[in-house]
Amino acid sequence: MITDVELPEPEKSLPGATVNSDQGLLMWISSVDHKQIGIMYLLMALFYLFVGGLLALLMRVQLLVPNNHFLAPDAYNQLFTMHGTTMIFFVLTPAILGLAVYLVPLQIGANEMAFPRLNAFSFWISLFGGLLLYFSFLAGGAPDAGWFSYAPLNQTQYSASPGIDYYCIGLLLSGIGTVATAGNLAVTIITLRTPSMQYKYMPVFVWMVFIDSFLILAAFPSLNAALAMLLIDRQLDGHFFNTDAGGSALLWQHLFWLFGHPEVYIVVLPPFGVLSEVFQVYSRKPIFGYPFVVGSGIAISLLAFGVWVHHMFATGMGHTVNSFFAVSSMLIGIPTGVKVFNWLGTMYGGSIRFTTGMLFATAFLVEFTIGGLSGISFAIVPIDWQLTDTYYVVAHLHYVFLGGSLFGLFAGLFYWFPKMSGRMYSERLGNWFFWLFVIGFNLTFFVQHILGIIGMPRRVYTYPALAGYSALNLTSSLGAFLMGLSMLVFLYLLYDALKRGKRAGDNPWDGYTFEWLTSSPPPLKNFTTLPPVYSFRPVHDLNHPEIGDYKKPDEEKYGTKDID
Amino acid sequence: MGDQNSVDEYLSAPRSYMETLSMLPSLLRPAAAQADRIASLTAYFTIAALLVLTIVIGLLIYIVVRFRARPGDAEPEQFTGNKVVEGFMIGVPTLLVIVFMYLTLDTMADVLPPDSGTQPDVVITGHRYWWEASYPGTKAIVANEIHLPVGRRLLLHINAADVIHDWWVPALGAKMDAIPGRTNHLWVTITKPGVYEGACSEFCGAQHAWMRIKVVAQPEPEFRDWVARKAQVANPVLSASAQAGAAFFSRQPCGSCHRIRGTAATGAVGPDLTHFASRRTMLAGLMENNPDNLRQWLTDPQHVKPGALMPRFIYPKDSINVLVDYLSSLK
Amino acid sequence: MAQKTLIKLIVGSETIFFLALLMAFVYFSYVPTLNPRLVSRLDLTSTGLFTVLLLSSSFTFWRAEVSFRRGQTKQLRLWLIGTVVLGIVFLFGQGLEYRTLFREQLTISQGTFTTSFFTLTGFHGLHVLIGLIILSIVIYLAFLGDLDDPDSVLLPSVGIYWHFVDAVWAVVFMVVYVLPHVLADSTL
Repeated sequence: MITDVELPEPEKSLPGATVNSDQGLLMWISSVDHKQIGIMYLLMALFYLFVGGLLALLMRVQLLVPNNHFLAPDAYNQLFTMHGTTMIFFVLTPAILGLAVYLVPLQIGANEMAFPRLNAFSFWISLFGGLLLYFSFLAGGAPDAGWFSYAPLNQTQYSASPGIDYYCIGLLLSGIGTVATAGNLAVTIITLRTPSMQYKYMPVFVWMVFIDSFLILAAFPSLNAALAMLLIDRQLDGHFFNTDAGGSALLWQHLFWLFGHPEVYIVVLPPFGVLSEVFQVYSRKPIFGYPFVVGSGIAISLLAFGVWVHHMFATGMGHTVNSFFAVSSMLIGIPTGVKVFNWLGTMYGGSIRFTTGMLFATAFLVEFTIGGLSGISFAIVPIDWQLTDTYYVVAHLHYVFLGGSLFGLFAGLFYWFPKMSGRMYSERLGNWFFWLFVIGFNLTFFVQHILGIIGMPRRVYTYPALAGYSALNLTSSLGAFLMGLSMLVFLYLLYDALKRGKRAGDNPWDGYTFEWLTSSPPPLKNFTTLPPVYSFRPVHDLNHPEIGDYKKPDEEKYGTKDID
Repeated sequence: MGDQNSVDEYLSAPRSYMETLSMLPSLLRPAAAQADRIASLTAYFTIAALLVLTIVIGLLIYIVVRFRARPGDAEPEQFTGNKVVEGFMIGVPTLLVIVFMYLTLDTMADVLPPDSGTQPDVVITGHRYWWEASYPGTKAIVANEIHLPVGRRLLLHINAADVIHDWWVPALGAKMDAIPGRTNHLWVTITKPGVYEGACSEFCGAQHAWMRIKVVAQPEPEFRDWVARKAQVANPVLSASAQAGAAFFSRQPCGSCHRIRGTAATGAVGPDLTHFASRRTMLAGLMENNPDNLRQWLTDPQHVKPGALMPRFIYPKDSINVLVDYLSSLK
Repeated sequence: MAQKTLIKLIVGSETIFFLALLMAFVYFSYVPTLNPRLVSRLDLTSTGLFTVLLLSSSFTFWRAEVSFRRGQTKQLRLWLIGTVVLGIVFLFGQGLEYRTLFREQLTISQGTFTTSFFTLTGFHGLHVLIGLIILSIVIYLAFLGDLDDPDSVLLPSVGIYWHFVDAVWAVVFMVVYVLPHVLADSTL
């Protein structure tokens, strides 16, 4: 028999907790509630997703036909720089932080983050970092050296507009926010779990966020140091990266990718966690191989810091260095592959409900596998020598960031939408959005693999009319417009759901984790009492006691039973 | 343009600019021993990757069809894992990794062994936004259209004059970054004569898109002739108007950036113009090299190639015409 | 508990930040050969003196923590003031060193050596300054009498940061000042 335990109250009432919804905007601005901050993070990500997407559409208009003059070269260069920077730092990063900040306290049975005010500070400083970056458009020109802003192109003599200064300051500010949130999440998970939730009972999403926090804490300082050094170069006439005065072009690349590669995993691990939840609930089964899913996450996070040089195979470093990083980069494919097969195993034998969230999760398996496999071609050094810095890379990274991260985030968004808003969305609109987005996405990016193979470099504002270039670029642009259209459907879907959606009820999907135990949307104080935790699916144990995991011995809970 | 066509035929045949661009630059059409090795490695990898993808998609389709929820389904069996299956999940990829690790190291050593310390056959320097090639041991310096001999293992040195560029001719194998303050190298053994398209592959600024490469690979004797011609100083027979152009060129600051060997112009910032008129394209592949385009360029460079380092000089039409005549006679 | 964990995580993160700056300095000053200015222009003796003072502030802070646990308010205040004074003296010493270098035209824009030197030591100085501001607030609280809960984690948390700042300097001092002399002597 499961009996509830009293949840320990916070000793003091939360600052700002007296502010209520009657106060409208003031409630949001002054809020320190993790759910409101989580939603603000998600809205920020959504806003920048539209902005960054618009930049991409302008680029695709320019690339519609060869030798096009729709955009001037410097305008195009600002657009692709801002597109990349926006999508990485102001869409994917805040989106994963938003989901994490919203869900982690709920899933571990806490009423708040460990540091509510720090949480608010982190969000606002990230938001202002983004606004400052965009202010550069008004201040004389946006950054124009690519999102990784290679030296010495990032020096004042080669990029005279203040864009890169805004890039440095904007990313430093948002980076401080990101690091603070990571620390906050880690401490929350360490200290605020409901007493009976041992680490082995944590939901996979919480595990991935936990691992992710350490990745952020270890990766961002490297970026912050590089940005500070670049700012010193530009503002105080320093010479770190100024090759005309003895500086080093490769130092920037090492520092940037020491951050940059882990960043890929930073924005993909939490979506892995999201997907693990989504696959379980919609397949009506526990995750296949919980220890392997968690363990491979840890393996990825450790390997993530040993692979950065695969971004630099064409810089002419010796074979010893290249070989080492080729091995590590291939190795990181193994734990990633393990996850894909574990998700397939989770679906296998289930009773699968194809809601919009599950459609995105299912499509993710295909898209992310394509992105993962094309990623391995960059670990194979000679293939990298041919394909790096071509449209093949553009295709690859979009299959990872969109097909991986964003599909995972969309799966999560649809899965948790009823919880966050208290309303159901229209599955019919959801289906429209999904199919338009998936078709548009594959049209846009699949052909770019071929463009890279037939010799089109990335980051070109136009291209000669070589055989194949025109047709493939046209296809890619049309796909992009289709994605743009699907995003309008998505907006309408959100509006429709908030306006007309049916009441969701506490647990519409028969979910497994604690957030489904409280009301939808959750009250300011998440829980008053919670049942004790005996497995990583406490709510499933509660609602399906006859087949609950809590009755099983550990080896059956985790599928580690020896086969005779 | 078939691969078997001789280069002379290519260069002499009257062809539209578009036609000269019709050769698809692709790593799948290797024309060098090194590119060949990479192409076969790419083929093995593609087969393995497609196999994995087929397995994933096949399993997924089976699962989606077989395990789709049907009305009235009870909760399915709640199994949580299987050690044997997990073993395969880790074991099979590990085997694949070991195989490809071996192939990678083997191909790497073959394609790009260390610099032997000998004199390079060609020194390539990336500039914003054009390529310079010089041939050590000779006086030849050319831009953007770079000739190389077939059938010999060549050592290329790759440098940069300002920011990072990247030398990439897919048919000839690996790309290599041109990094300021560093000398990188590539080995190339071209197997088929032909004209090979390439492009700068590291973003280098406003006109990164128009920093294209054309490699003309020709048999050794033809190549030697070509180098010998390019090593000569400019000594054209000049028409009266071209002579006026030459005088105008030397009066104006042209020579502080451009070099015309045999004259007082010794600049090293812009492309060497000694044999300018023998190039088929100008502005690193942006347009065909003909008097009309040249006139347009000299009238307003920033309109033709915005962001290029050539400033706009406001010259009268007549002066530009004689300048065009002069430059067009620098064969 | 939570506060201390957070500070430990932030300090861990900051360690990587300083490692990046340190790597840049090492890259420009030790590769391919040791920059002779490290020996000729940097004053080992006077910086060594200020280093001893900074490191002893870790001791005074430790004494402050002990006094805090024992509830000895007066000693607590004295040890805290001692810590702040040592920190200020260190920053003063750094200012003197910078002034000497500036007078020899060795500014941040002079070359890669000065750029990486001023960035590394400057960021450390900034961390000392932040520590001093935090310590001043702690002293203010101590004089208000607000530091009376022996279970409070405020002082231990600040301590983690302050000891970290000292430890960073110990490493910087070794790499920037001591090691070059050792290497220069051994090659003579």
